[in-house]
Amino acid sequence: MQRIVGQRASASFEKQFRQREAILEAVQEHLFPQGNDLPSAKTMKMTAFLFDTMKHASFDKDIKAFVLEGAKELDSREKGKFLAMTQSQKEASLRDYETTRYGSAWLSRIMTLSMEALFCDPIYGSNVAEAGWKFVGSDGGFPRPQTKYLGV
Amino acid sequence: MYDVVIIGSGASGGAVAYTLCKAGYKVAVLEKGRLLNRKDFSKDELAYCRRDLITPNLFDEYHTIDEKIEGKWVSKPTYVSGWSFWNGNVVGGSSNFMSGMLHRLHPDDFRLKSKYGDIEGANIVDWPISYEELEPYYALSEELVGISGHYQAHPFEPKRSTPNFSQPPTKENAVVKLLDKSCRALSITPLVTPRAVLSQNKAGRDACYYSNLCGSYGCSSGAKGSSREALIQPALATGNLTLITNAHVKSLHSEAKDSVKYAVVIDTITGKEKHIEGKIFVVAAQAHESARLLLNSHNKYHPSGLGNSSGEVGKNLIFSGGGSGQGELHKADLKEIKFDELMTTGLFVNRSVLDWYFIDDWWDGKFKGGSVEFMFEHQNLINRARKDNEVDGKLVWGKALGGHVKERLQTQKSIRFEIFNDWLPHDDCFVSLDEKHKDKYGMPVGKLRVEGHPQDVKVGEYIATKCEKILEEMGAKNIYSGVSSSPPSNLIAGGCRFGNDPKTSVLNKYCQSHDVSNLFIADGSFMPTGGSVAYTWTIYANAFRVADHIVGVLKKLT
Ligand SMILES: Cc1cc2nc3c(=O)[nH]c(=O)nc-3n(C[C@H](O)[C@H](O)[C@H](O)COP(=O)(O)OP(=O)(O)OC[C@H]3O[C@@H](n4cnc5c(N)ncnc54)[C@H](O)[C@@H]3O)c2cc1C
Ligand code: SF4
Repeated sequence: MQRIVGQRASASFEKQFRQREAILEAVQEHLFPQGNDLPSAKTMKMTAFLFDTMKHASFDKDIKAFVLEGAKELDSREKGKFLAMTQSQKEASLRDYETTRYGSAWLSRIMTLSMEALFCDPIYGSNVAEAGWKFVGSDGGFPRPQTKYLGV
Repeated sequence: MYDVVIIGSGASGGAVAYTLCKAGYKVAVLEKGRLLNRKDFSKDELAYCRRDLITPNLFDEYHTIDEKIEGKWVSKPTYVSGWSFWNGNVVGGSSNFMSGMLHRLHPDDFRLKSKYGDIEGANIVDWPISYEELEPYYALSEELVGISGHYQAHPFEPKRSTPNFSQPPTKENAVVKLLDKSCRALSITPLVTPRAVLSQNKAGRDACYYSNLCGSYGCSSGAKGSSREALIQPALATGNLTLITNAHVKSLHSEAKDSVKYAVVIDTITGKEKHIEGKIFVVAAQAHESARLLLNSHNKYHPSGLGNSSGEVGKNLIFSGGGSGQGELHKADLKEIKFDELMTTGLFVNRSVLDWYFIDDWWDGKFKGGSVEFMFEHQNLINRARKDNEVDGKLVWGKALGGHVKERLQTQKSIRFEIFNDWLPHDDCFVSLDEKHKDKYGMPVGKLRVEGHPQDVKVGEYIATKCEKILEEMGAKNIYSGVSSSPPSNLIAGGCRFGNDPKTSVLNKYCQSHDVSNLFIADGSFMPTGGSVAYTWTIYANAFRVADHIVGVLKKLT
């Protein structure tokens, strides 16, 4: 029974995530853009990491809901036009969102989860080829994990 | 039926299991978590430090924390606040994840009331035992757990029965040259911190390889003196220990007033309930959870909780803390040592200061102070990269982010101090059962009220000011400290204080329930006052002492 409930919850999460994926991706790519020394959201597969990590049972369900809701809120603040904006319009939009308490907390959460993607062990599919670690001259520490999330 | 059933396999449970198994008794250890071994202890920051994988999911099992809002106590579940009071629920408990900076209590910590008198609003009492009674067990745990260090005579360093540690200190970062010099310039004596980390190989355990990520991580070499490594493994080797993992103890069941008959255990994988019988039961679930277990084990003989005729179960909970501070050592203005030396990873800072353990100053007065531990900021990458990632209240992102992160991680290293003073026991620091909230096993969760006493804040501020001066002398920048009455959730004691009077204490001097003769509590619950150092060496030592007494009790039974 519990398993079926779990499967249903995970299917509904996937559906909601896919609806907001483009906006989450656009925000992450704005925070970690291409063309800089710092590995970008795109090359580090940060949005795929976001999906995987939020899908895992160990992820806080309130934070999961907040991440999805905050993306929806951004989309509706911008009347569905965020994705079509230029870089500088996106910058203005996110800085404006940041002036609200809610928006600031949401951006802060996206930043934290993106930093997780950049510096976690590559076993999680992000920090590709240890680019995040190399950027700061770290080896990440030994031993390295053999399984994700301690095999849970 | 087992001779002894132990609930919890952490520092205290391990010490009891080790002693009893070596003495030839049949022991069951019931541990709610699973067994992780050396091979599992990677440096996976995501898994160990950023998700609830070695602790229960907070939506399944949690605590509620009382906060005073507009003069009224309001309780908030930890799944809302994210402030977890779980510290490691796998075989070996939190001891797997400790940083291992250990100190003995001072002899005067055992007689705080007679030495310093009452403090208004604090429930201070003397201990029913003295330092001299515990000393042999401090020495025993030093040897068995594997505590490395170097003894230096100091007025507040307690006497030892052995001249020095059998293992020399772990290797140290060059920063200690700067720290030592700065302390001496201020007439402060830096001491080498005893550490539950092997500097040399020891019976099946490899010396520390300076992995750089110690506290909050398990150890893959066996160097850290966790209960799992130092005590549970050798206990298993005797053949006398049955280690039952994924075994959450819901309550202890009694069929007579004076004894416990069995532990009610839920298999956390199958959900099935089973009963484990023993002659003697030893609760070692970490202080706040041990008190909760007793309260949840109420029955017709003990309506307000098992062994709670005094009404003291859960009362006078204490924490080991007092504040902390930090400063940045920058490449540009580093003195005394080379920047490369400072940035060398893995090596310990290993310094503590006991100079302010008792303060007797013509200007400041005479009062009980505390100890200080120096260390580097925790080396977790995600955490450090994310920290201070704001300028003028705005997140740094985009083009500027790379430079910001590099500067934070590559041009400076932060040095920290942590203060430990007496967390004075008082009426607004306790654990009780929450009337509304239940865990996934249907049992009331522990409701914690965790206020500090104003005197603790005063002492913390006094010491923090002195420590900031040390950091200044070292040339650190952006120095700050924070002293508050908010507790650290990983260093917990009290809640079932020991004493000679059954009306005012839960346990007798051997940590045996005054009310239920086959029930012992071996963790830090017994401590009526906490002393001014972190608790774990005392928890190990006392658990060995309690175990010796239990051997005596078992001998009489047979
Ligand atoms: C990150 C970290 C750093 C630390 N650093 C230091 C340090 O530098 N110096 C120091 O002195 N101390 C330190 N400590 C504290 C130290 O680890 C604890 O004081 C010590 O482990 C407490 O021992 P214990 O036996 O009371 O509890 P634990 O070691 O926590 O063991 C309790 C065990 O009981 C189990 N349990 C609980 N409830 C039940 C139940 N109902 N049924 C079955 N099993 C149950 C738990 O799963 C756990 O395994 C640190 C702790 C942490 C987490
Ligand atoms: S190897 Fe040393 S530093 Fe690393 S976890 Fe073990 S004891 Fe700590």
